[in-house]
Amino acid sequence: MATIELDRLVKRYGQTTVVHGIDLSIQDGEFVVLVGPSGCGKSTTLRMIAGLEEISGGEIRIANRVVNDLQPKDRNIAMVFQNYAIYPHMTVAENIAFGLYRSTLSKSEKRQRVEQAAETLGLSHLLERRPSALSGGQRQRVAIGRAMVRDPAAFLFDEPLSNLDAQLRTQMRIEIKRLHHRLGTTSVFVTHDQVEAMTMADRIVVMRDGHILQVGTPLELYEKPVDVFTARFIGSPTMNLLPATLKEGGAELSTGGLIRVSPPSAPRADVLIGARPQDLVPSSPDTPGLTVSGNVVVVETLGSETLVHIENAGQTIIGSAPGRQIPKVGEHLTLHAPLDRLYCFDKSTEKALAIR
Amino acid sequence: MSAVAHREAATGGLWSRMSLGQKQVIWAWGFLAVPLVFYAVIRFWPTFQAFYLSVTDWTITRPASYVGLENYKRLFADPLFWEVFRNTFMYLILGTPISLLISFVVAYYLDRVRFMHSFIRALYFLPFLTTAAAMAWVWRWFYQPVPIGVINDILAGLGIPQQPFLRSTSQALPAVLAPAVWAGLGFQIIIFLAGLRAIPVTYYEAARIDGLSEGAILRKITIPLLKPTLVFLVVFSSIGFLRIFDQVYNINSNDPGGPLNSTKPLVLMIYQTAFSSYEMGYAAAQTVVLFMILLVISLVQLRLMRDR
Repeated sequence: MATIELDRLVKRYGQTTVVHGIDLSIQDGEFVVLVGPSGCGKSTTLRMIAGLEEISGGEIRIANRVVNDLQPKDRNIAMVFQNYAIYPHMTVAENIAFGLYRSTLSKSEKRQRVEQAAETLGLSHLLERRPSALSGGQRQRVAIGRAMVRDPAAFLFDEPLSNLDAQLRTQMRIEIKRLHHRLGTTSVFVTHDQVEAMTMADRIVVMRDGHILQVGTPLELYEKPVDVFTARFIGSPTMNLLPATLKEGGAELSTGGLIRVSPPSAPRADVLIGARPQDLVPSSPDTPGLTVSGNVVVVETLGSETLVHIENAGQTIIGSAPGRQIPKVGEHLTLHAPLDRLYCFDKSTEKALAIR
Repeated sequence: MSAVAHREAATGGLWSRMSLGQKQVIWAWGFLAVPLVFYAVIRFWPTFQAFYLSVTDWTITRPASYVGLENYKRLFADPLFWEVFRNTFMYLILGTPISLLISFVVAYYLDRVRFMHSFIRALYFLPFLTTAAAMAWVWRWFYQPVPIGVINDILAGLGIPQQPFLRSTSQALPAVLAPAVWAGLGFQIIIFLAGLRAIPVTYYEAARIDGLSEGAILRKITIPLLKPTLVFLVVFSSIGFLRIFDQVYNINSNDPGGPLNSTKPLVLMIYQTAFSSYEMGYAAAQTVVLFMILLVISLVQLRLMRDR
């Protein structure tokens, strides 16, 4: 187990810089998820930690040891790949034992370790099978077994669930999470799926274009996104953003209507008012906050809740109604979100502004 | 309703009364018929004809008459056959491993070369496109004595005595084999490269993280995963060396298979029996023997190299 520190980490391919000097400190035993759209540099960062990509600048420390120029094998890390990277010509047991390739343990001790890992992952009855006889989820478990068996300082996961179907993905998510609770090994997990990030992470690192935008617990990111990108990236469906102008006494929506907010310290003209669909519910506007109304255009029945898309002055706004209350398409509906559930962003810099 | 529809269908032709499945079958066989007829006439019929001819004494000038296994008895008693048999197997057991080893090493390193990769690959492939006759001529010059022969020039420059190469009964076979190996390299390299490219990069990355050395990666990952490619190339190149002919025939055109039959392969013997001596029945028997050898060797190789 170990801490991982990135210090002004840079990656360049020729003229193109893909990681722009990022800083990150990962605590011992922490489960950190790097999340962002494809091409944001999250996988590159992970591969630099693993030692599969050379570092163009900065420093990586694992357990307070600078590993910049160390071979992957000397970093004492284990990695799980998206396509599992388990060898088709070896049995499950041989694949798991491959993690112990460099270990000096005796044969029987190795065998014991493999059996132990297989037991933890529920693979005991499959040890003599070939990977071709396994399902996707089982293959990914073999890959995790190979990573586990060595007892590494850190686990690195590179989109390990992307090749699985939706149901299996949810299941593996929980399995990895439980495994982390049991082993307590520092883990870095890369994904483009914000749900994976939210459900698994102790801390989430949101990345975009080779920069870290925000680091925080899932709830921090959900409650206090620092900019429009994070606000829209975290949470599903994405946050509604309504253009407005800050004035004396409140923010005036471009579609009409005034929200009574205390103006931020430095008054700015154009802002975006954000409201999550979950906070925007059909109710009477008796408390201060955001009120929008319009005709229902689409209704998504999810059972636990109903997502309602309404058209308001040319913009589609998503709100939510209770599961059993299903509005009709074409019906006129008024949605309301209380003041303390609203977000405000500067329109030009896209940075969050304090309005509460 | 259904009764009307049924009657309408029944009144149509045979075609409209057939089910969709039956129509598909007819179409499929319709298209398959052309290559099938071609194969039957051009390939299979002559093959069976050869089997029949091998038990006759047909010599072009005389009509064929049945002689039983006489041709085979004569063949197995012929010392020339056993010499040719030995030569053919020398081509096989030298040529296949040497060519595969060289082409694998070239492909393995070429796979890592980014600089002018396509150009280098094309260079290696070039001999495969060259006609055997032209190639044999060039190599014949290489093997000449000083001052024409390049190889002897180099040997002389190094102070090593000149070698007879094609004029020696012991050196001629390897000397004929060399251009044959060289000519086939390009093809084998391309196939090996394709096989290497098909191995996912993450296999190597995972191995690097697990701490395998380059040699261990080659031994434990690359070669096992290349097995399908390897099986194909072993069988393919074995068949090629067992059927070697044009390289031998062209490099020594005034005495093909010489000196003293030391380079003569089975196919050349068949050719000479059939088209110099015109003993068609005898040649057919030799062809059948070659066919059996090819069949047995290919089957044994596939058996040995299949999942083990």
